[in-house]
Amino acid sequence: MDVKEIYQKYQRLVLGVISLISLVALWEFALTYVITFDPFFFTKPSHIGAAAKELLLGARLWRDLAISSRAFLWGFSAAVIVGIPTGAVMGWRRRVEYTLDPFFTGLYASPLVALAPLIILVFGVGLSGKAVLVFLLSVFPFVFNTYTGVKSTDQLLINVVRSFGGKERHLYINVILPSTLPYIVAGARLAIGRGIVGVIVGEFYAASEGIGFAIAYFGDTYRLPEMFVGIIALSVIAVLLTEALRKFEVIIAPYRAGMESR
Amino acid sequence: MTGVVKFYREREPHILGIGFIVLFLVVWEISPLWISVSRGVSLFFTTPSQIAVKFYQLIVDGTIEEHFYVSAWEFVAGLGMSVAVGLPFGLILGRSRTMDALLDPYVTALNATPRLVWLPLLIIWFGIGIWSKILIVFLGAVFPLLINTYAGVKNVDRVLVNMVRSFGAGEWQVMKIVVLPYSVPYIVAGLRLAIGRAALGVVVGEFFGATKGLGAMMARAASAFQVDVVFVGVAIFMGISLIFTFAVKKIESNLTRWRPEAVKTF
Repeated sequence: MDVKEIYQKYQRLVLGVISLISLVALWEFALTYVITFDPFFFTKPSHIGAAAKELLLGARLWRDLAISSRAFLWGFSAAVIVGIPTGAVMGWRRRVEYTLDPFFTGLYASPLVALAPLIILVFGVGLSGKAVLVFLLSVFPFVFNTYTGVKSTDQLLINVVRSFGGKERHLYINVILPSTLPYIVAGARLAIGRGIVGVIVGEFYAASEGIGFAIAYFGDTYRLPEMFVGIIALSVIAVLLTEALRKFEVIIAPYRAGMESR
Repeated sequence: MTGVVKFYREREPHILGIGFIVLFLVVWEISPLWISVSRGVSLFFTTPSQIAVKFYQLIVDGTIEEHFYVSAWEFVAGLGMSVAVGLPFGLILGRSRTMDALLDPYVTALNATPRLVWLPLLIIWFGIGIWSKILIVFLGAVFPLLINTYAGVKNVDRVLVNMVRSFGAGEWQVMKIVVLPYSVPYIVAGLRLAIGRAALGVVVGEFFGATKGLGAMMARAASAFQVDVVFVGVAIFMGISLIFTFAVKKIESNLTRWRPEAVKTF
């Protein structure tokens, strides 16, 4: 990296930080000196800061986050365990691909979140209902990305392994897995976003705890600063997770970062 | 015999694909016959034929029409707004490094977080009427469009831009002659994603505190244990999303035919 490149990277960061700080300052200034506002409908950064201090020191926000992440982790792990093998088989066996592709494409293209009322009805408002919703929303990115990854494995490499007498096992471990991994990580990035949607919808719809419930509850009781703290906490987590996976994509396969099927 | 085999061989993908969906529906339909469910569970259960009958009834008595128009208007208005905002902003962010750096924190943060978290705030500000839904649809759909347009602009061939510039074109002409045509496939791919997000926004927006719309119809039916009505709603949303997605995909593949490599979507 030469000096100019470092400078450009630095400049980008500085501009981003300046823009954030000035927005917050402008917001605070405008609502303190220019407009008198109704605390029922609006809030300002200093109030959010006070609420953040109170919530971060208390136990409630952390408990809500823990409850939501438990539902998320169950659903997401199930999606990994089911989605990746399904996608791999679809990519590797032609007839399985023919059989499952239209069905799954249909499910993936349609807003499955519409099933939320039904799932909550059947599985309850607790952990399992949310986990099923998360699973349903986040399984298809895994299926389709693994499928595309296996399908786009270089045929030449497969032939090379075969003609040098490699076993099926070598084929899977040395060729197909490395070429599919970037796709799976990209799929995971998409799945995280959809999984969070699942948790939030489940908790908005019917719940008594969790971060989605907290945001909806603070909204219903017109406690806007607290609601903003909830939203910001969720944003921070979502950004950290997706950006970490983006970095991970570049690390494991710098030559094809950003690959994803659909 | 060979005729049948040949027939099957030629159409194997379609036969297997459609066959699986039909099999799924048939198994679902006949499952009550060989699995005896308790009274409590059968409350949550319905079959495809019951759903179809309910669908017909709801169309005949005009319930669907009434809710459908509200949902369709929210969908169209929200998507229209997101095109009107997402496209220009994508172009600007793609062309201007400074604007990109200034707005990047917001785009990243808003795009990574499900926009649904803003729904309670939008309901406080705009009430439970149609505007909070239009805005949640807009918020959901604007980022795929913006980010794809941005990616399209970023991937424009530098040589072409320099060439047009050296013939004396201004920024506006560069935009019109090179950047915009080059990013069209990206924009269409963004539109495809935006349609999915918009449908999600309509459904979820109407789940909470709405009185009209297909989502509200489903939420009310679910709390009254009318499972077949919920599935009618699911079927309508599925159908519409599928039609839109495949129409846009068709346009996409027509537009990208000349490209050596497929467009990456985000």
